[in-house]
Amino acid sequence: MAGSDWRDRYGTEGGGPRPASLGVMARVFSEDGLGKWALYAPTVFVILFFIVPTALTVVWSFFERTMFWMEPGFTLFSYVNFFTSARFENFLFSMLHSSVSVVVSFVVGFPIAVFVRRHVPTVAQHRVILLFILPFMVSEIIRTFMLRPVLGRNGLVNTFLTDLGVISEPITQILFTPTGVIIGEVLSFLPFIVFSGFLAMEAVPKYIFEVCQDLGASRWRTFWDIIVPLAAPGIFAGSVFIFVNGIGVALIPSILGGPGAVNAGLIATQAIIALDIPLAMAVSAIMMVTLFGLLAIGHRLFNLTKILEPQA
Amino acid sequence: MTQLDFTRRAFLQSVSAAALAAGGLGVAGAQAAEPLKIWTIGVAKVGDKPGTGGKDWSDMEKAAGTALTYNAKSGSADQAIQKMVVGDGNKLYDAITDNGGGMEDALGSQKTIVPIDTGRITNWGNLLDHYAEGSFAADTIRYDGKVYSVPYISNADSLAYNRTKIGGDLGSWEALFDPQFRGRAAMQNDFGPTFTNTAIYLKESGKQDIEAPSNMTPKEVEGVAKFLIDLKMKGQFRTFWDGFQNGVDLLASEEVLVSSCWEPVQIVAARKAGQDIAYGTMKEGHQTWNNVWMLTKGGKDRGQEEAFYKLMNVYLSPWFGARTLLTFGFAPQMKGVLDYINGSSDFDAAAKATIATRLKNKQARYDIKGNSWQNVFPRDMRSYQDWWAKVQAA
Repeated sequence: MAGSDWRDRYGTEGGGPRPASLGVMARVFSEDGLGKWALYAPTVFVILFFIVPTALTVVWSFFERTMFWMEPGFTLFSYVNFFTSARFENFLFSMLHSSVSVVVSFVVGFPIAVFVRRHVPTVAQHRVILLFILPFMVSEIIRTFMLRPVLGRNGLVNTFLTDLGVISEPITQILFTPTGVIIGEVLSFLPFIVFSGFLAMEAVPKYIFEVCQDLGASRWRTFWDIIVPLAAPGIFAGSVFIFVNGIGVALIPSILGGPGAVNAGLIATQAIIALDIPLAMAVSAIMMVTLFGLLAIGHRLFNLTKILEPQA
Repeated sequence: MTQLDFTRRAFLQSVSAAALAAGGLGVAGAQAAEPLKIWTIGVAKVGDKPGTGGKDWSDMEKAAGTALTYNAKSGSADQAIQKMVVGDGNKLYDAITDNGGGMEDALGSQKTIVPIDTGRITNWGNLLDHYAEGSFAADTIRYDGKVYSVPYISNADSLAYNRTKIGGDLGSWEALFDPQFRGRAAMQNDFGPTFTNTAIYLKESGKQDIEAPSNMTPKEVEGVAKFLIDLKMKGQFRTFWDGFQNGVDLLASEEVLVSSCWEPVQIVAARKAGQDIAYGTMKEGHQTWNNVWMLTKGGKDRGQEEAFYKLMNVYLSPWFGARTLLTFGFAPQMKGVLDYINGSSDFDAAAKATIATRLKNKQARYDIKGNSWQNVFPRDMRSYQDWWAKVQAA
């Protein structure tokens, strides 16, 4: 809004009295006041809290390690160390487990988003989706730790199945295995796919379902050929959230994984504990490159800005 | 106002009132000084009531006669080192505790902590003999020949086992690697204690030549790691535990029957499970360690020496030693604990028996020849890191 508009609206030039408070607001938010600078706030925020830390992470990853810290220099040692040691193998495994978590989350979570969009009255849809925030009210460490007495040797699942006579020996292949990690990740991150799936589904007009039905399309075909492509940007965004958290959140493999279960977050943490700061920075940089790579691919394929476009 | 603030202010008010009542304005002025800012772990405090950790630091303040401002510190050495060497630790804290294994050397070499005038600690004479110059633990509180730290707890870490389920006692690390406990054994998710305990076993059982289990060469680390990798691939370990609660839960839930762990883990697990979970004496040896208090350079510059020495006096008193042993199972660092509890009405018969038994068991563990002192900065740290990653990946 031009400064003259403010003056016209509040009568600085058009005559007649104007409220004093509005006059102050007008001056503060005019092009010559804070309004001019408010436009730069997001830019400053991104520079301070994203670009600078990211750049420092990359720069520090090339520094030389010292006994307690690091010193300026240029060495690829941390990267060579990462890619030629078992850490890379661990990193690939954590990517594999996270990929499985993404698939399971999609299979479980996206139909929920579709169901809410299609069958829940419009006025109640956001409230229903908000229900998925409730688990986040409980600390993640507690949510994850609570799976132990459920999935453990003497946990609820084993006790229940034993009491039913289904099993005679407790199942020990769930907890402290990759399966345990995947279960933990799905339960922790499922809301991401529900939220983003729902956002994407808002772009799908309700009449699409009726048209498909009228044309005799099966439910599967409607889902796979119509809904999924239309909601692809949202599905992809949710999947990236889950994938990145899967390789980055150290808590879940620590509590539910088997001996030595790690992901990239835990590899970085262990490097910090060993005072190998450049290595920790290199692991972080590799994670960021992975994330940016995924986002670039996703944007090229699905145009991710679509999920933020206002819907009619 | 936090509970801590409330307690501290109430304490200061009561001390000031007492000082004024005695007509000692000078004393009142001294008490009005800044509280001693300490950076330490929660289990560094005890409550006046035996067997409790205390709700806050007020009981420790009363015992020391000085006000404290507590700052929580994690159990990882990296955080402490970085905060003190390259961070603002000296500005923030007057006194800090370590995370074991030679941190006073690291901090002393960087001049972030200062030598201690032991003559100003009344209870210094209580200190266990093995800290005297020339004794085996002398170096663990000294740097460059000078005393830089005051030990407050120590232990010889061992194997916890579920005696109820196993039906007998275990006295060798062999059990941890025995096929009869396949899938029911756990070790710590930390290359330091896990490699060291395994190395002690391999060395003392003659399975591998190892010079110093806490400071191995790359070749020795490789041998230890390969031993663990082989066992891991056979399914020996249920998991590697991380964090106190995790360690407790594994034992208490019977997920594992044997676990190399800290003694407080065993104590809490036994209490939680209501089972006979014991802490053995391993014939091959144990990783031994102590935790120490240090006076920061910043603390000295701010004139906090007197308050620091008052607090250290508490840490070297049997009052503290008996309580930390009963509550957490940590070994007291002073003589006279048994005499103290026998002459105190604060401890009932059961508590006295528990303390006596734990002291006896600890002494038995300390007497093992193959013990190895913890070293958080092994010479070939990189080998430790790299081989630990391989153990994890296996």
